[in-house]
Amino acid sequence: MQVLDVTYMLELVPILLQYLPLTLEMATLGMILALVLACLLAVVRVLKIPVLNRFTILFISFFRGTPLLVQLFLFYYGLPQIFSSLTAIDGITATIMGLTMHFSAYMAESIRAAIVGVDRSQTEAALSIGMTNAQLMRRIILPQATRIAVPTLMNYFIDMIKATSLAFTLGVTELMGATQKEAAGSFLYFEAFIVAAVMYWIVVEALAWLQRYLEFRLNKAYSR
Amino acid sequence: MKALLLSVITALSMAISPLALAQDNSDPLDVGMSGRYFPFTFVEKDQLKGFEVDVMNAIAKELGREVNYHTAAFSGLFGMLESGRIDTVANQITITEDRQAKYVFTQPYVYDGAQVVTKQGNDEIESVEDLKGKTVAVNLGSNFEALLRELPYADEIDIRTYESNLEQDTALGRVDAFVMDRISASQIIKDKPLPLELAGPTFSTIRNAYPFPDTEEGRALRDKFDAAIDKLHKDGTLKKISESWFGTDITQP
Repeated sequence: MQVLDVTYMLELVPILLQYLPLTLEMATLGMILALVLACLLAVVRVLKIPVLNRFTILFISFFRGTPLLVQLFLFYYGLPQIFSSLTAIDGITATIMGLTMHFSAYMAESIRAAIVGVDRSQTEAALSIGMTNAQLMRRIILPQATRIAVPTLMNYFIDMIKATSLAFTLGVTELMGATQKEAAGSFLYFEAFIVAAVMYWIVVEALAWLQRYLEFRLNKAYSR
Repeated sequence: MKALLLSVITALSMAISPLALAQDNSDPLDVGMSGRYFPFTFVEKDQLKGFEVDVMNAIAKELGREVNYHTAAFSGLFGMLESGRIDTVANQITITEDRQAKYVFTQPYVYDGAQVVTKQGNDEIESVEDLKGKTVAVNLGSNFEALLRELPYADEIDIRTYESNLEQDTALGRVDAFVMDRISASQIIKDKPLPLELAGPTFSTIRNAYPFPDTEEGRALRDKFDAAIDKLHKDGTLKKISESWFGTDITQP
């Protein structure tokens, strides 16, 4: 068994670091868009808005029920066969779109659970003192729902960062794609993948720190 | 609702398509490759290199066009060609009947053979017949997978398809052998630190060429490529590139 080629690993660090911003950019944009979409989906589900509710159920069922890779291939390679102009969508955009829809389906369910999870008695209490529905949502339900949803949403964001590694199948060279190409050129698999793993790990660890901070802030009002 | 959505998408496609179709000779060529097929297309310190890159650059120079290289996982390359995102694939694409039904090919620019490769010291496998009852790795979507499945005893072979890194899995002993083209297999054994060896002679001749979509533009570009390949054959450029990578001329039958 040959010893780790540390020099090679150190050489790889600056090379692979160049691809980290793209990975983070795709995940962050995907997360922001997914959050917006998930909130809309969750509201439709909680309020059971007619017609839209059925559509939302179908949307969530499809995007939770099929692998992200299948969805990405569908958008990127499948649809342009029918609508040739969709070729104009590049791999990065397609990845962000895929991440958004895929993860919004999951996130919608956890946001819905968080809203429903706020005790019913609080709704009754708020309504009994004459709060409107909007006030109830803004002052009572949402602050508590946010607090409940933060840990799971953060989990999805972490998952999303790692899911960007699928973008290489769409021709986007992000962190994992760059690593695979370097490994295929040098055949030093262990070295290359360790460097990539540590990079993902550091990013996720930073997020975990952010999550702890957020939870601390959001829980302050409720801790006794 | 659905009809509305469809008509919106159709209107949108019609609005954008003239832009997408506008193409002339001053446009750069869009070429797809995996960047993971040493020594044909690979990356070293962020630099895309290899035989395929050198040959394509020579062809592009003949055509007076720039090249944009698009690297993607092999399984995505034909999807990119199909959806019009790239003009052709430069990744040692072997001419097969299935592919000819769908694409138009240039003349071959590489002649090679299918080769069984095993871990060093594996004496059980000395030819393709010895693969009976063994596990064999091939690249997903490669013609080597098709070659194995055409063998009369194919159902006795445990064929594993890989997206990448099959050389490593063979070296680790997880599969008994892999099948690849002889040229790159020899090159890997010569240059790279994996304990592998060639097992017996090649078992099928393969001819590699550039595929183009079977459309008017695809066929026109194919003809230009053919003319450029002819010229590069005659002036010795292809031979020179081949010898610089392999020490031998693989561009002639």
